[in-house]
Amino acid sequence: MISMSEYAISNSIRTLRFLYNEMTQKQLADAIGVTRQTVMAIEANKYSPSLEVAFKIAAVFKLPLEEVFQYRATNT
Amino acid sequence: MTRSEQLKELLQSISFRELTLSIDLLVSVYISFFYVDSLINATTEQLASVSWLSGLLLQVLTYSVVLMVLSYLLLAFISDNELKQPLDVREKQINLIGYKYKAVILQVGICIAIFQYQIEANGWGPAIEYNIPYLPMHVMVGAFLIAEITNYIAQLYKGRTGDIYE
Repeated sequence: MISMSEYAISNSIRTLRFLYNEMTQKQLADAIGVTRQTVMAIEANKYSPSLEVAFKIAAVFKLPLEEVFQYRATNT
Repeated sequence: MTRSEQLKELLQSISFRELTLSIDLLVSVYISFFYVDSLINATTEQLASVSWLSGLLLQVLTYSVVLMVLSYLLLAFISDNELKQPLDVREKQINLIGYKYKAVILQVGICIAIFQYQIEANGWGPAIEYNIPYLPMHVMVGAFLIAEITNYIAQLYKGRTGDIYE
């Protein structure tokens, strides 16, 4: 059986927020200069942020970009 | 979860941007209703009268300006300087999607109006303009109002679902 692989961006923002003093979506949104709705969309993998916003999120958690965002194959 | 809790959760999840768009949508729907209602209730003489039509369009324009100014004053009063905040990248993308739908509807409306005008000017077929004078102009105004409403609905829908890559 042939397995077709597609790549998708995922992230660990929800977990990181929890680990980072239970930061709220609003606090993260204010820190990176976007709306809370945008943070919600990023967390739900419905929106891929711009490179600048991605770096800002990583900077908030003081982590390298690849520990916040992952680009992985998803088997369909 | 009870209905009141669901309502409270929904109200808390509404962003200021969504509130602004919802008010714009309500204003556009009201103006459209006013325009269509005036046309439906107009007599044949009124429909054929240029002065009555000018008055109606002036009323629509006045309502648009007054309601928009009032809604923005209200939003400025209840907002915490959020009106001044620029849109983020995602909101700009959603804005563009709304404008795309708006542009398509306006193009279709103008094409229909031009076609209708040609029918009227050349006397082709049993055209509907014999019953409704100045139909091309009504088509254009209608297209404009539908385009505005579609723009706001598309932005609200895309903003809520987050599916902006379709």
